[in-house]
Amino acid sequence: MKAVLIFALSLTFLMVPVVAYLLEGWYAYWGLGFLAMLFGVLLTYLKTHYYWEED
Amino acid sequence: MAAPSLEASPELVIGVAVAVVSFLIVSVLLGFLGRRKAKTFEHWLVGHGDIGPLVTGFALVASYLSGWAMFGNAGLGYAYGWSGSWLIGTISLMGIALCLVLGYRMRRYVALGARTVPEMLKVRFESRLAQAVAALAMIILLIVYSVGQFKAMATVWAVATNTSFYWSLLLTAIFVFLYIGIGGYAGTQWVSCFQGILLTVVGWTLGIVAVFWAGGFSNIAGVMRTETFMAPGGTETGIPLSEYTLPLPQPQGLAFPGADWIGVGGSMLMFLLMATGFPHNIARFLGSRKITRKEYWMMLAIVVLGSFTAMWIGTVGFAARAIWGNRLMFDQYRPMYGDSAAILVSIDSGGVVLASLFAAAVFAASVATLGGMAMIMATNITRDLVHNARPHTSPRVLLWLTRLALVPFIAIPLWWTFTSPPPILSEFVAGSAVAQAGIFFFVVGVSMYWKRATKWGAIATVFYGLVLTMFHPNAYGKSIGLYHWGYWAFAVMLGSALVYFVISLVTKPLSREKLEKLFPAKLQEQD
Repeated sequence: MKAVLIFALSLTFLMVPVVAYLLEGWYAYWGLGFLAMLFGVLLTYLKTHYYWEED
Repeated sequence: MAAPSLEASPELVIGVAVAVVSFLIVSVLLGFLGRRKAKTFEHWLVGHGDIGPLVTGFALVASYLSGWAMFGNAGLGYAYGWSGSWLIGTISLMGIALCLVLGYRMRRYVALGARTVPEMLKVRFESRLAQAVAALAMIILLIVYSVGQFKAMATVWAVATNTSFYWSLLLTAIFVFLYIGIGGYAGTQWVSCFQGILLTVVGWTLGIVAVFWAGGFSNIAGVMRTETFMAPGGTETGIPLSEYTLPLPQPQGLAFPGADWIGVGGSMLMFLLMATGFPHNIARFLGSRKITRKEYWMMLAIVVLGSFTAMWIGTVGFAARAIWGNRLMFDQYRPMYGDSAAILVSIDSGGVVLASLFAAAVFAASVATLGGMAMIMATNITRDLVHNARPHTSPRVLLWLTRLALVPFIAIPLWWTFTSPPPILSEFVAGSAVAQAGIFFFVVGVSMYWKRATKWGAIATVFYGLVLTMFHPNAYGKSIGLYHWGYWAFAVMLGSALVYFVISLVTKPLSREKLEKLFPAKLQEQD
């Protein structure tokens, strides 16, 4: 599961130029924001579930 | 629609003055309350380690969203159309989320005695040299970044109050000095939280109002399809603004990150790394308390709201272009040019109330970033250089030296902006952002997690990054034929990574016993 999440995380970053190239105008603009949000959610999930550290 | 006037009405002047002065009074009061809690130099530096997720989250938003995002983004959208999106930071949330995940470990270094970001390196590598080198590099790069903050604040004040651009600069510098000098870290953190909330609310409001003002999303997109790029000063190029790349005339045009897909790749990497690389961002975790999983999600929600603020400000620039065409690129609007789009739209679309709130929000964004940076630079001198060389200097002397050091670090970028304001703010500060991303993401961010990192790897990365930074296409790059921003940005960031990892692997790390203190066994299993 962790590997899948890390793969999905990488994909959200790699998809950025693809979305900008394939879509146009506002669709690309907000689409990039959506990808960034997805990245943030996946990263936080990974941190809190697999890499959580107690001091 | 006719070109917007630069003549402000008396109501607007009063409204903006009241909003900005009220904002600054609240900031100074919060800073003063923070001061009351700071009884020692150590407390002044990092507070009491009791700052919760709400304050940390919004303070992170405020220190990240500088005059670049809150103000310059509209200039980018206005001047470069959709290709401006790459510097607007449509993916900036990726970098802030990464900073949120990596930055929390700063707490461990605070527990081990670190009080500044370079001091974390002293603890990590047991090296005063690494601390001093990092401190000097931060000073150089943050001075450049500060120039953009001054331009943002001065432009807003100048346009909205009919005051000269240069008097506005002086005014803002005085307020920044006041509240950091009084408040210290805890004050700065609380003030930044207040500023983060203010600029998020105002940024979203202005963005949404601007879209309606310009006739809706489809109208803006329709007009953008017909617009062409005009350089500051009124030189028409005929290059359409309708695409996500803008092939400006070569070779000078290659200095724009959105000129082609290589530049786009460079800007993406910059946004991924820079939030962690910004010392004033990662320093937000120096005073935070233990955060639970649930609270981590709360911090993510806060930074999501904050990062979309930057996108809404970019939207304001598109709206301005849809209504006013390329008029703001004429010399009539010098030295603000497209950067004046945001404040002019706020006046035209929302009247005195919105313009006043927006002016206060721009001050919030710029002052929060500038405050965080001036604080970093001043403590670089006292804690990382003076205290580093003379550990027995009294805390009282260090505290006063830090306050004194604020003066040059506010005055130098002030003078720079005074004598040579950059035409497109965000494009200018992106140069410093690339260097900070390339150097400090690895030297600070990765070193907190990678046990094999060495002080020589870190020091070599700082030197490599600083030297390469001088070859920015708009600096010395031209002299060696380096005109392409994308190639330069990759050379800085990927080159820094290569130097960091290779030099670290061929030099000796700390002993196993020492590393066990920095990376306790339980955490090593999780790592």
